Amino acid sequence: MGITQSLFWFLSVLALVAALMVLLSKNPVHSVLWLIVVFFAISGHYILLNAQFLAIVNLIVYAGAIMVLFLFVIMLMNPNTETEPRKNFLVQIAGIVAGGCLLTVFISLVKQASEMNNKTALLKTGNIGLIGNLGKALFSDFVVPFEISSVLFLSAMVGAVVIGKKN
Amino acid sequence: MNAIILSALAGVVMMLSGIFTNKQSVIKLVSIIALLVLITGNVLQTYGHCSIQIDTKNLLAFSKAGLYFNTLIFISTFVYFILSGKAIEKAGVNVAEYFALIFFVLCGVSILTSFNGLLMFFLGIEILSIPLYILTGSDKRNLKSNEASLKYFLMGSFSTGLMLMGIALVFGATGNFSLNATGQKTAYDVLNAGILAPVGLLFIFISMLFKVSAAPFHFWTPDVYDGAPSVFTSFMSTIVKAAGFYAFIHLFETKSYDLGPSWKLLLTFAIVLTLLVGNITAIFQHSVKRMLAYSSISQAGFMLFSLYSSNTLAKEGIFIYTVAYSFATIGVFAILIYLKDYTFDGYNGLAKTQPVLAFTNTVFLLSLAGIPLTAGFFGKYFMLASAVKAGAPLMLVIVAVLFAAISVYYYFKVIQAMYFKQGDAELNDNVPTSFKTALIAIAIVIILIGIFPSTVLNWLYF
Repeated sequence: MGITQSLFWFLSVLALVAALMVLLSKNPVHSVLWLIVVFFAISGHYILLNAQFLAIVNLIVYAGAIMVLFLFVIMLMNPNTETEPRKNFLVQIAGIVAGGCLLTVFISLVKQASEMNNKTALLKTGNIGLIGNLGKALFSDFVVPFEISSVLFLSAMVGAVVIGKKN
Repeated sequence: MNAIILSALAGVVMMLSGIFTNKQSVIKLVSIIALLVLITGNVLQTYGHCSIQIDTKNLLAFSKAGLYFNTLIFISTFVYFILSGKAIEKAGVNVAEYFALIFFVLCGVSILTSFNGLLMFFLGIEILSIPLYILTGSDKRNLKSNEASLKYFLMGSFSTGLMLMGIALVFGATGNFSLNATGQKTAYDVLNAGILAPVGLLFIFISMLFKVSAAPFHFWTPDVYDGAPSVFTSFMSTIVKAAGFYAFIHLFETKSYDLGPSWKLLLTFAIVLTLLVGNITAIFQHSVKRMLAYSSISQAGFMLFSLYSSNTLAKEGIFIYTVAYSFATIGVFAILIYLKDYTFDGYNGLAKTQPVLAFTNTVFLLSLAGIPLTAGFFGKYFMLASAVKAGAPLMLVIVAVLFAAISVYYYFKVIQAMYFKQGDAELNDNVPTSFKTALIAIAIVIILIGIFPSTVLNWLYF
């Protein structure tokens, strides 16, 4: 087992354990901290796939910005087990059934995706994920959607000002 | 490309016009001029003059039908500005920004009529919906408007997430975003192609049902349409919805093969449920605004027929339906905004005090119900005829006709209140003569289209 493989197994176990801990921790702040661990592990996977840009963006956007937002909201609302309403037994059963159905669909999907069998991802080699290639693709093949998305951001900005401005 | 660039530019111009002037009449005038420029640019491109050529790497494909649909949408927006421009001025303080957001929505519409791949489709849908979340919440002092905006935003983001998941799965299956890469497939191919693409398409289908407010994903519609300021409800339920349907049809025309034979079954289920929920719930409403929200769900059920048949007749039908439904609903809402009381009782005796308003409102409601000699009749006729031609089960068409008959009940309740009930309907404001003239003009257009539907359709081919 080479170093890449051992890193892969280590990161996968870390991601799964941390994801389980997100669900199992009683304290919501701990859940959020475990979620940050999940994001770090996934970023590690991206680096193994030689996609450094994606790894860094994942860290900055998810572990950085979104997690801080999560923490703020949780600390402001301060939820704890006493104030939370007890979930109805029927609702819990319905949740289990719905989640199980989704899991079955995904498992059968992965099993039936025959085109993906016996293929490994590009490890160490390949330069698809490098920022230079991304930039070239963005400014040649995908320049129209890249420019048009500015309209989307502009409208979101106008909206933020309209909602946030004091009258 | 003209429409996309000009509408985005118009949005920027409107946004900046708020800096230079505080006079709302000037802002409204600028917006109408910008819209006229937009219409001219789009018509010029339709006939191949002065169009901006950009190499879009096959991500956008401009067809005559798409450009003509743009023109129809822009003309509906023009009618909307003329009838409801004054109400937009009163909706809040940031008038220039509201117009800017409306132009950004139009930019989204122009992308949705010309996308040639899932990437541009997604961008178009997002540019279409994000300004709407803000317009819904533009009445900041009103708690109901805030609630509607937040609800719409959360639900909308969730459905966008589903759509992205679907697009990712389709991309995983085909390796590109293009619409016709897979080409036409036989049932045998579909069974062997793996399950990735069908599951992905199902996700996209669900999120599109959400965006056009078809059952069983319609739950946000009544609350959002009721909570939003009435002017923006009128915009959302007509222009935006019609554009959503055009994109829906454009996407699934080529893609529905991947879903195999279950596709028609799914669609039948959605159509019947939408008609049932929309019509039956609309009967029990007390507020006309809420009734119109449910009626817009039931109209979505009829528009889904064009997806079911997806032949030439259906394509013609969606053009007629867009014009008929948009003009009539914009008119009904423009009159509703003048009333103090939004319940059915608020309309009591309107015919005595405001005969012009009552008469034009009657024409609009008859068109919505689909009574012959109005445009709405031909909208429904084309939808059902295309379904029959495409070999839909006769039962489905009969069910649709029955629900159309039920819808007459709640539309006529308004007419009954206006003409046959005692009372004096109170208005917010004096009704200016120009407003009445515009109403009469639109009523005449609706009747003209109801007699000569070819006036709308001929432009599609010449």
